[in-house]
Amino acid sequence: MPGETNNGMQCNEFEAVQFDALDQKLAGGKLERFRAHARACAKCGPMFAEVEAGQHWLKTLTEVEPPANLVNDILAATSGIDSYRLQAARPVIYKPSLGERIREWADSLLTPVWVTVRQPRFAMSFGMAFFSLSVALSVAGVKPSDIKQADLSRSGLRRTYYTTSARVVKYYENIRLVYEIESRVQELKKATTPAEPGPKELKERDKNHKNNTSGDPEPRQERNYSRDENQPVLASAPEDPPAVSVTTNRRFV
Amino acid sequence: MEDAQIVNGLVRRCVAGDAVAWEEIVQRYHRRVFNLCYRFAGTSNDAQDLTQEVFIKMYRTLSSYDVERGAFMTWLTTMTRNLLVDHFRKTKQDRVTDSIDAAPSEHEDAMPLSDQIEDKGAPPDARVQSRETRELVHEGLQKLSPELREAVILRDLQDMDYRDIAAVLKVPEGTVKSRINRGRAELARLLQRTYKQVM
Repeated sequence: MPGETNNGMQCNEFEAVQFDALDQKLAGGKLERFRAHARACAKCGPMFAEVEAGQHWLKTLTEVEPPANLVNDILAATSGIDSYRLQAARPVIYKPSLGERIREWADSLLTPVWVTVRQPRFAMSFGMAFFSLSVALSVAGVKPSDIKQADLSRSGLRRTYYTTSARVVKYYENIRLVYEIESRVQELKKATTPAEPGPKELKERDKNHKNNTSGDPEPRQERNYSRDENQPVLASAPEDPPAVSVTTNRRFV
Repeated sequence: MEDAQIVNGLVRRCVAGDAVAWEEIVQRYHRRVFNLCYRFAGTSNDAQDLTQEVFIKMYRTLSSYDVERGAFMTWLTTMTRNLLVDHFRKTKQDRVTDSIDAAPSEHEDAMPLSDQIEDKGAPPDARVQSRETRELVHEGLQKLSPELREAVILRDLQDMDYRDIAAVLKVPEGTVKSRINRGRAELARLLQRTYKQVM
């Protein structure tokens, strides 16, 4: 009869207990009857052998190691925070502030210059430069103690600009007044001087000049060459100016 | 304190917003979920992505876990399995369709898979514990149908008992045993054929 052997175990019973046999839960007489059926049954024996072999193959598969960053990726994707354990184990990386980074950058630039400057051969040059600068500032009336932060503000700069402008305008007006007075004085002086000598006097003067063998230089004649027609006259002339004849003394050689 | 109580406490703390508890859960279960995904999906990259998806889903639905309805491990494995099946269906078009995918429930009548597996050229003196053998077994596992594969993975690799597997797969316990049997036998035939070819 198919499905039944002479050891008393049927094929359906064999199939039912084969899981216990594979899980090592079968013992005693039941295990003996199971083995006997597996040996004798042409259907159940090979089938059980394949199942047992398959289980054996599967047991060779060991647990694989997950990637190292998997936990961090999961935490970042879920709670959005880094691992507390990794944070504790991770060394603290010092991050310099903006001021410290600027200072480092300036040091990297200035250090080579400073090393050069500190050489003795440059000491005298820098000393003289400093002395010249301080003298120039003191002559100009600039005192470092007078410079205040308020002077560098917008209103302070504007006030300084207007003060300086007013000072320049005032200086210009003063100079103009001085020139006007000087011009008037010259006009009066010319008005009071005698008239030009006539042709006879000129001939006589030339004769005297030719006869001058003393080697002394001729008396200097003042002429205003810079004045032309387009030059503005700063001094105001009177309504009825006195008749002044201007003659030039030319040397006829 | 029992393991289940510890896990339930972690879940309660995590639902309350404790980030440390969530990290503890991730640390405790990520290896298991990754291995399950790796054995089912076949590649480490896919397993990594799927593991992340599992934990993202778990993070969102952790408040729905009911202690009274079952163990946390069963709940987690069910979630992982559902996501793996979804992934399998989504990527089915991308994979080369073979007879296993075409007729997953007709293994007894189908052509033996060992006739279809290609010769990987394993060395003749390969031992069972060797790396090449494990790779062959892993590749053979990928040739099984999803139903048989998940059953043998949960039983032989995840060491779950039949009742929990039945709860995860939502099939009777007898069906679970049948699938495990068929999966083991199919894998054995596949690998024996391979070894005969190389020897």
